[in-house]
Amino acid sequence: MRTLPGILLAITLFAVPPALVAAEGEPPPEEEESKCITCHTDTELWEGEQLHLLVTEKQMAELAEDVHWKKGLRCHDCHGGDPTSFRTGDAHAEEAGFRMMEAPGDVPDFCGHCHADIAVMKRYNPSPRTDQVVEYWTSGHGQAMKKNPEDADVAQCVSCHGHHGIRAVDDLKSPVFPTHLAETCAKCHSDESRMKGREYNGKELSHDQYELWRKSVHARMLLEKGDLSAPTCNDCHGNHGAVPPDVDSVANACGTCHVKVGELFAGTKMRHRFEEVKLPGCATCHNHHDIQHPTDEMLGMEADGVCGRCHQEGDPKYGATLTGAEAARKMRRGLDDLDAMIEEAKRNLKKAEELGMGVQKPRFELKKASDALTNARSLVHGFALKPMEEVLDEGLQVATVQNETALERIGEYHFRRVWLALSLVPILLVVGLLLLYIRRRPIPGR
Amino acid sequence: MGDEPESPERRTWLLGALSGAVGTTLAAIVYPIVSFLWPRESTESGAMNVVAPFKANQLPDSGGHWPPPFDFGGKPCLVIKTPGGEIRAFNAVCTHTDCTVQFQPDKGQFLCACHNGIYDLNGFNVSGPPPRPLETYKVDFRPTGTPGEEEIIVSRT
Amino acid sequence: MSPAPENGPAETAGWKQRLWAYLSDRVGLDAMLALGVKKRVPIHRTTVFYFLGGMALFLFIVQIVSGVLLSLYYKPSPDQAFESVQAIMSEVKFGWLIRSVHSWGANLVIGVLFLHLLTTYMMRAYRRPREFTWVTGLLLLALFMALGFSGYLLPWNQLSYAATNVGTKLVGVVPVVGEYLLKIARGGENVTGDTLSRFYALHVAIFPLLALALMGAHLYLVQKQGMSVPPRVAESHGGEDKVPSMSFVPDFLLRDAVGWYLALGILAALAALFPWELGEKADPFASTEIGTKPEWYFLFMFQLLKQLPGTIMDLEWLEGEMVGVLFFGAVGSIVLLVPFLDRGDRSRRALNFFAGVSVIFFIVMTAWGWFDELPLQIILGTSLLLAVLALADRFLQRGTPSRRALGVAAVLTVLVLIAAIIRELTR
Repeated sequence: MRTLPGILLAITLFAVPPALVAAEGEPPPEEEESKCITCHTDTELWEGEQLHLLVTEKQMAELAEDVHWKKGLRCHDCHGGDPTSFRTGDAHAEEAGFRMMEAPGDVPDFCGHCHADIAVMKRYNPSPRTDQVVEYWTSGHGQAMKKNPEDADVAQCVSCHGHHGIRAVDDLKSPVFPTHLAETCAKCHSDESRMKGREYNGKELSHDQYELWRKSVHARMLLEKGDLSAPTCNDCHGNHGAVPPDVDSVANACGTCHVKVGELFAGTKMRHRFEEVKLPGCATCHNHHDIQHPTDEMLGMEADGVCGRCHQEGDPKYGATLTGAEAARKMRRGLDDLDAMIEEAKRNLKKAEELGMGVQKPRFELKKASDALTNARSLVHGFALKPMEEVLDEGLQVATVQNETALERIGEYHFRRVWLALSLVPILLVVGLLLLYIRRRPIPGR
Repeated sequence: MGDEPESPERRTWLLGALSGAVGTTLAAIVYPIVSFLWPRESTESGAMNVVAPFKANQLPDSGGHWPPPFDFGGKPCLVIKTPGGEIRAFNAVCTHTDCTVQFQPDKGQFLCACHNGIYDLNGFNVSGPPPRPLETYKVDFRPTGTPGEEEIIVSRT
Repeated sequence: MSPAPENGPAETAGWKQRLWAYLSDRVGLDAMLALGVKKRVPIHRTTVFYFLGGMALFLFIVQIVSGVLLSLYYKPSPDQAFESVQAIMSEVKFGWLIRSVHSWGANLVIGVLFLHLLTTYMMRAYRRPREFTWVTGLLLLALFMALGFSGYLLPWNQLSYAATNVGTKLVGVVPVVGEYLLKIARGGENVTGDTLSRFYALHVAIFPLLALALMGAHLYLVQKQGMSVPPRVAESHGGEDKVPSMSFVPDFLLRDAVGWYLALGILAALAALFPWELGEKADPFASTEIGTKPEWYFLFMFQLLKQLPGTIMDLEWLEGEMVGVLFFGAVGSIVLLVPFLDRGDRSRRALNFFAGVSVIFFIVMTAWGWFDELPLQIILGTSLLLAVLALADRFLQRGTPSRRALGVAAVLTVLVLIAAIIRELTR
């Protein structure tokens, strides 16, 4: 590449591919383009230990879908070297810029050759991100890789993005598209043998995260309802800088989407106490991977109540007090009462509707009570009784009024029947009097 | 006709009672019919257009409060005024999980507090989980004699 | 001007007479009254059935009034029809009452018309010169059933949508013209908003106008020809003119008024105790529910058609439904032509037999189609049969063999009815 013809040739070669590789799914043309392909796709040349250097037909087909290939990049653009020479020595010369990966630990910098270079990335994207490699080294994967660059079980770029068929992140078929991402992570993180003996921050890594997450409400929303805003692994753990959120940053992770609740929690004494005793914020009550849709049963001191896990009599775990227990009971009662009243109002409105009475206005007003209930449920996370009671009282008032309206309508229905029954009285009276009058008249026919 | 001797009072009594009873039944028939004919209050159900329960100069009102969503055919309708002075109406139900959005005049956006969804003043979902924009309604005005105090009429597009 | 009055009554009589004279001079009220006063109604065992015609007229007027009132709020478009009826039921003052009256009234008027048909047949009131009265009457019955069918769709709920679908589909099985008839009836291939508009126009304008015209003709003929006297009654009195009679005005009218008020009371009670429900809005893409059936006055036809096989004797062109529809068409034609078919004793006996079979068929099919369980079907069927037997009883002389046979039939029916009731109660 140092010689002038070499440079000119390289430049021409660089300009030709984009025009030639216009159609999708076309197997890349061989020979003229890149001499690398000639040797590296020849099945007779590679065997045994060097088999991994063979680029199979399948991989060539995948390359056609590769986002780099589609943008015109070829073998030498990533691997370096001289694509014009058949001579191994020249093709793979270090002077020709050939970059070899000797260990898995070399992969991030290999990709980073372009992806961490702003000048290069700017050619393809006006505002590129070039911090992925730096981020990677801060991640759990990166830290493990630094310790042992030969470790083939630690994830690097290729583990998640693939190598010869890299699709764009927003491509539906990409292994890192939101609906596939968890599976990709699970390839290693659900593999017991791979996770064996590994730890982060002194805690052993488990291998049930994917299994748990699949049961969660987030997974349900993402995979069944198709709500792409529902979180998967990277939304809480990060992408390239993936780490389990620290005890004090769990609430922040959740609070990215659950803003209101996060703000409420951040202002409480509980939050700081949790940090002191190293309890993982939101996950303490809501779990971290198998997060379910919260129910009212979670609040309080009874069976499923999470408060009771710590605030128990005779169990000074974490120094938990009992005054909180009473507040929890009251909150739960308040929620239950409002919920019950709303349900009753809904029932009576339905009954009234079935009887043919108009119920649209009460239904609309009742929604305000439902909104209050939702509001109260988030206010639980402020762990303060008074604001919650205020909201609950308002909601209860609305629900009670609408319930009464519904009962009124039902009553009106019955009132109508009574009124109609009464109207039969003058009718029967007329009939009776008419008969009397007819009888008074002379009998016809004589 | 009558060759039967009948005291006049008896016949009058009977005829009188009969007329009274017939009159009552006729009234019982006519009253519902007249009530039926009398125009009803503006329809709530299946409404194609509804007059907002506030006037054009109450956005916001003198206390700086913006009106809450009102009932538009069963759906909550939020009416706002853009910084440019244009009055717009939207269906306030968030397209993500059906929470009610709130208008944030100082930020010039709608916020859904449930999962932090944000819509701009055109109703477009610009941030957060909402998959679709807010449903937009058409706004018309009816003068009331006092300029600035027009009635706001919201209808489906 | 008369001098200063001495007592009240004389003065009021004065203004009434003056008003009468004023109108009579210009409109001819005297002549109308004379006609009414002249008209007489024969008195015999079956006189009570003379009231049925007037009852039908009364109910027709109720339907017109309630229908016109409903049309002030009803909107005939698929996206507004159901909602407008809902609004009538819940927002308009007394809307629920007017609507229930209209729905119940429709059923009552057709029921009364069936009875009117049956009793005029049994009284043989179709004989010369009243053939056209019979024909117009039957056309009116068909028209009223069509009014019932078209009106049924208007609320645009699941039930009516399904019933209209099935009903108009049957029109399509008529050979040759069936397809065109179906398209005209539906306003297209399927039941759509066009069907609704069409049915609305038919129900509100076309059919009522036809009904008024036919009714006018029917009533004119009845007025002109007077009330018919059953032949046996005329015989037993030695001639039609020897049959005792009452004046139409005021005797018959007073009794008629009693009937009208009773009908009003029954209508009000039904509207109050069994208000007409609305159901769910029609969804053209929802599958038809099993057990969809038409209103009771179409049930006998529907039930028979359900039993017919797809093709008769495995001949492809001999569709079961087509045979059924044509069968009913034939029966209807026979009924229409009764005045012309009744030529003597033999033909009359044949017609009586035909009538008896028809009535039994109607009762059996209706009871069968109405309920799903046998005991209930039997209860309904035997009750209806008893009602018909009670009706027929009035036509028979004491001591005649036919009356004894009727008595036996009645007793048997009562026994079966009691058995079915006991069976139902002890289940």
